[in-house]
Amino acid sequence: MATPALKLKHPGCAQSIVCDGNEAAAWAVALARPDVVAVYPITPQSSLVEYVSQFIADGKIEAELMNVEGEHSVLSALHGAALAGGRTYTATCGPGLAFMFEPYWRTPGMRLPIVASLVTRDGITPQCVWGGQQDAMTMKETGWIQIYCETVQEVLDTTVMAYRIAEHHDVMLPVNICHDGNYLSYGVTQVEVPEQSAVDDYLGEKNINWHVALDPLRPMAVDPLTGGAGGPGPAKFVAYRKGLCQGMQNALGVIEQAHADWAEIFGRDYAPLVEEYRLDDADYALVTIGSMTGAAKDAVDSARERGQKVGLIKIKTFRPFPVAAMTRALKKVRAVGVVDRSVHYGWDCGPLYQEVLSCLYRAGQPIAAGSFIGGLAGADLTEGHFARAIERTAQLLAGDEFDSPVWLNEHD
Amino acid sequence: MTAYNTIAFDPSRCELCNDCDACITACAQVKSGSDDPLYSRIKIVAGFNGNPPELALCRQCGDPECVKSCPSTALTKNPDTGLIDWEKSLCVDCLLCTVGCSYGGITYNATLKHVAKCDLCDGDPACVKACPSGALSYITSAGIFNEQHEREDLFVPGLSACQGCNSEMIMRHSLRKVGPDTVLATPPGCIPGMGSVGFNGTTGTKVPVFHPLLTNTASMLAGLKKQYNRMGRNVTAMALAGDGGAGDVGFQSLSGAAERNDQILFICVDNEGYMNTGMQASGSTSYGSWTTTTPVGSEMKGKRTSQKNLAMIMMNHNCEYVATASTAFVEDYYEKLDKALAASERGFAYLHIYSPCPTGWRFPSSQTIEVCRKGVETNFAPLWEYERGGDLHFTHPIDNPLPVEAYLNLSGKYRHVNAEQLACIQQQVNERVRTLKRYAGQ
Repeated sequence: MATPALKLKHPGCAQSIVCDGNEAAAWAVALARPDVVAVYPITPQSSLVEYVSQFIADGKIEAELMNVEGEHSVLSALHGAALAGGRTYTATCGPGLAFMFEPYWRTPGMRLPIVASLVTRDGITPQCVWGGQQDAMTMKETGWIQIYCETVQEVLDTTVMAYRIAEHHDVMLPVNICHDGNYLSYGVTQVEVPEQSAVDDYLGEKNINWHVALDPLRPMAVDPLTGGAGGPGPAKFVAYRKGLCQGMQNALGVIEQAHADWAEIFGRDYAPLVEEYRLDDADYALVTIGSMTGAAKDAVDSARERGQKVGLIKIKTFRPFPVAAMTRALKKVRAVGVVDRSVHYGWDCGPLYQEVLSCLYRAGQPIAAGSFIGGLAGADLTEGHFARAIERTAQLLAGDEFDSPVWLNEHD
Repeated sequence: MTAYNTIAFDPSRCELCNDCDACITACAQVKSGSDDPLYSRIKIVAGFNGNPPELALCRQCGDPECVKSCPSTALTKNPDTGLIDWEKSLCVDCLLCTVGCSYGGITYNATLKHVAKCDLCDGDPACVKACPSGALSYITSAGIFNEQHEREDLFVPGLSACQGCNSEMIMRHSLRKVGPDTVLATPPGCIPGMGSVGFNGTTGTKVPVFHPLLTNTASMLAGLKKQYNRMGRNVTAMALAGDGGAGDVGFQSLSGAAERNDQILFICVDNEGYMNTGMQASGSTSYGSWTTTTPVGSEMKGKRTSQKNLAMIMMNHNCEYVATASTAFVEDYYEKLDKALAASERGFAYLHIYSPCPTGWRFPSSQTIEVCRKGVETNFAPLWEYERGGDLHFTHPIDNPLPVEAYLNLSGKYRHVNAEQLACIQQQVNERVRTLKRYAGQ
């Protein structure tokens, strides 16, 4: 519930409220003024779509609300709305995201600037309704932009920014704003809500379907069969694929600009791609993602007090992967411990760890690296867990390498 | 160019009545006030050597030999009615016309001492009304041609459908009528497969067309329509989907859109299977059908389960309008298309069109409409409609249905069907009609 009495710290903000991450995302949706919102509930996303629905019921969001019979149709309805020129929103996670996969997988290829929150949830089986990033990480090769938030305020701010990024002429791609189930979805904190007029200026005119439309005023065939072994097919298909890859690369700069402009207007400055924390004089570092980062930073601070030269690299934008920014950060250290909230089954490690290894190879920097996996299925990652990760990473520096991941909650 | 109404003749139905001569008597009475068959302008001629009976009646030919044979201009083709008019005052009784006509359509009446021929009774032929078996029918679909042929065909020529494809006919008829302010979605299947959405940057459709997923046609159109409503623009959201994309894997989105009564015109072209990918079975495939995934062998004799009745399922969503249709009864279809289009302005409209497939069902491409017709006349594919809040209503009731063999025998996919299977199919047909009649309050 809103408590307007709280004092505002930043410019361009209308009110300060206390809310959880799901409500913060709903406030962002209200500020972005979508045309069509399609919803289907799933834990731990449900309260988010309840807030959005209530906002629409109250006239706070002036949008078409579609209560659709499943996630597959949720995204399909948004395809139709976007092809007709509408700004769109939905949220999902876990099995809902899995059910959505068929239209989800297709969205980037059509270059539809749809924004969807992923309130990340671990994968089944074992059956589980709690947080974890296995759902989002499973989707990392589909062509969606994936941005992971650390705080509730960042959820609100980044969800608004997502429209600026998705609808940028040089990007035109769907964006997932990922916020950790349980820890961000239900974690309550003070949040500042930007002024509507300032957000309107920030987002500008919507830019949805200049490039692909289903509109009798400018008829076109959307998605004829393309490809095959002869004729113009192969080259056309490559043009689409290459264009999508280029859009992803263009997004890196657009995400940076979106954050820079946000900081200027609203005073909150987030590292758009990769955040470096106490890294400049560090010998080794943890690499983190999402809401775990707060506890990890506390652990780094404590270790620093003990004289350990440890820093932290947090990734915010995971897709497209910010290779240059990550490589720049990694060059500052001689060992890294990468903490994932999900599993990469193929390599017996975490997925972020694997990406870090790729950066190190590309940079010609064969430093010691280790994979830590924790926070699965809602498990808490505490300062204690990160203290252990820091110690183990320090041992890497001393030459004590390990091949298998360290499971941080294995003995909780 | 104008098309004209005509009398059609079905010998297999005529045989059912065993020389009743009702048409002949009716004609004689109407034209001459006599029961004497000599005064009739229609004759049923018994077939030789067990062949079916044939019809001797004026065809009102487009290139009439009788007119060409006439030396006195007594016979003329009327451009307004399409009739071959006979003018008594000009006739010289030379009888050359009776030689010119190959159909026995103009004959000499020795009592009247001049020729006589059918004039279609001013559009209300007595013979058709008198026919007890439905062997004679008055075909008025020419009116559709006259009304519709000026409208633009919104598919390009040269779509690569199979010869005799019923789906292509349905598509062209439907979109031509629905018109250009339309967004068409057609999920994977024969309809995009024949090039309607296109290949490698080309397209086969003149309205905005989309190749949705096999699974999401209705929900995608629902979102599109919502946005156009929001923009205050009247755009018809239209689906042309196969039975798989509608009733199998696409059913969830179809059901959801119907439940929400989203404003969509959804046309299901039911060819009882996945014909585009090589004739695999779907939930619409009828019991006993051969398909490539319900083959015929020592252990299996075609599909082991009955088809789902998708149109009835849709009716039970209580959406705005639901109807079945057949291309053999195109006037009936056009009336339903009009209603469905109007209904789609208010909510969800669903048309289920039986669409026999010459390639997949194994019948000659010339027989498509005949298979459609027999489907209806055997009650295998009954024609009905339902409007929200009302009763089901039979639009072409079949009071004396032909035995279902008359339909099954036309298609190779039932060639293997044994007596037990046949009895089962007939029973299913009977049960289906009974159920429909309950919904019709009968």
